[in-house]
Amino acid sequence: MSDPLQVEEPSVGRPPEMPRQRYLLDDTGFDEVPKKYRRFYRKWRGPGDVLAPNEVVCPVCKVVIRSTRELHVGDRVYCMPCMSRLVVARAEDGTLEARVAY
Amino acid sequence: MIAVLPVSADTTVPVDIHDLDYDRFLEEVHSFEFWFEAVSGYLTGLTWGHRPGLVDRPRTPEERERLVTVLCNYCVGEAAALEGASGLVAIAPNRLAKVFLATQVVDEGRHLEIFYHRLRDLGVDDPESEVERRASRSLLLFRRRLLELVTSKDWEAAIFAQNVILESLEFAVFASHAKDADPITADLLQGVIRDERRHMGFGENELGRRLAAAPHIRSRLGQTKKELDHLVLDALEETTRLIGLPRDEHERLGRLYLGSVERLGFS
Repeated sequence: MSDPLQVEEPSVGRPPEMPRQRYLLDDTGFDEVPKKYRRFYRKWRGPGDVLAPNEVVCPVCKVVIRSTRELHVGDRVYCMPCMSRLVVARAEDGTLEARVAY
Repeated sequence: MIAVLPVSADTTVPVDIHDLDYDRFLEEVHSFEFWFEAVSGYLTGLTWGHRPGLVDRPRTPEERERLVTVLCNYCVGEAAALEGASGLVAIAPNRLAKVFLATQVVDEGRHLEIFYHRLRDLGVDDPESEVERRASRSLLLFRRRLLELVTSKDWEAAIFAQNVILESLEFAVFASHAKDADPITADLLQGVIRDERRHMGFGENELGRRLAAAPHIRSRLGQTKKELDHLVLDALEETTRLIGLPRDEHERLGRLYLGSVERLGFS
């Protein structure tokens, strides 16, 4: 799990101009990318896994992608393990999901 | 107060990797350097693809037979991928794709080697002839068609067949098999799965970019999919039966495989 550097306020209902919550990423032991990039990824732990506001699952390879900032719709993220560029979108159930942007 | 993130000690890495320019990202992930550092993370310390000291679990003669047949078919798939990837290096359209495929050739060679070694572990004296004897007809046909596409220098169709269709199938099957396999086979498969992420990601993204730039190739690739789909699904059926997966897991794997092609717009 990510450790927020500072919890400002819940993102729900926050005006868009408010600064995003930032995260200090720790190494989760993910070993499929070079060491310097490892903190940006972690393994998906299955259906009971809960994503933090700075995380999305890669639809291609099912790895969890992590950012140093809270993710919003329209953000771009990269999945290095499968080399995909993704855009954060709103899923039908209201959660954030990543979609491949070729 | 807004927290200030520490600047990375490595100045070549931005504070957030997702801020990288797309061209720089592609240059990085397709490099030999990236591949070497990535595989070093999970292959260092392994012997023949698994952690040393793992103890195999006892199995009945029937279970051994089934595992041998499954591994023989994994060898057919890996041999196809090795031959396919090495042929694709020559027709890859740019330097990054050539370098990436060179790393894939090494990965596929390793996979083939460790599966052969595992067969010997299981008491198979002559894995070459055993693979020939037990190979699935669907997989052999798939391999022949893949190599025809490579020989005809059809980059898009060959990448589609190999890095999208074959790799997606392998990724789904290996991940499912690893959940319930004996400790040694599971460890082998986990290492292979890590490699497969790169292979199928490369295929999907390369084709996605190509389809976006040249939509007219879609109908040709649709034909390739139509031609290969039944071979892949037959192979999936056969393998999941041998592994002993329940019907619903077989269907889930089918959906996983189809997910990749659907993201590219093929139904």
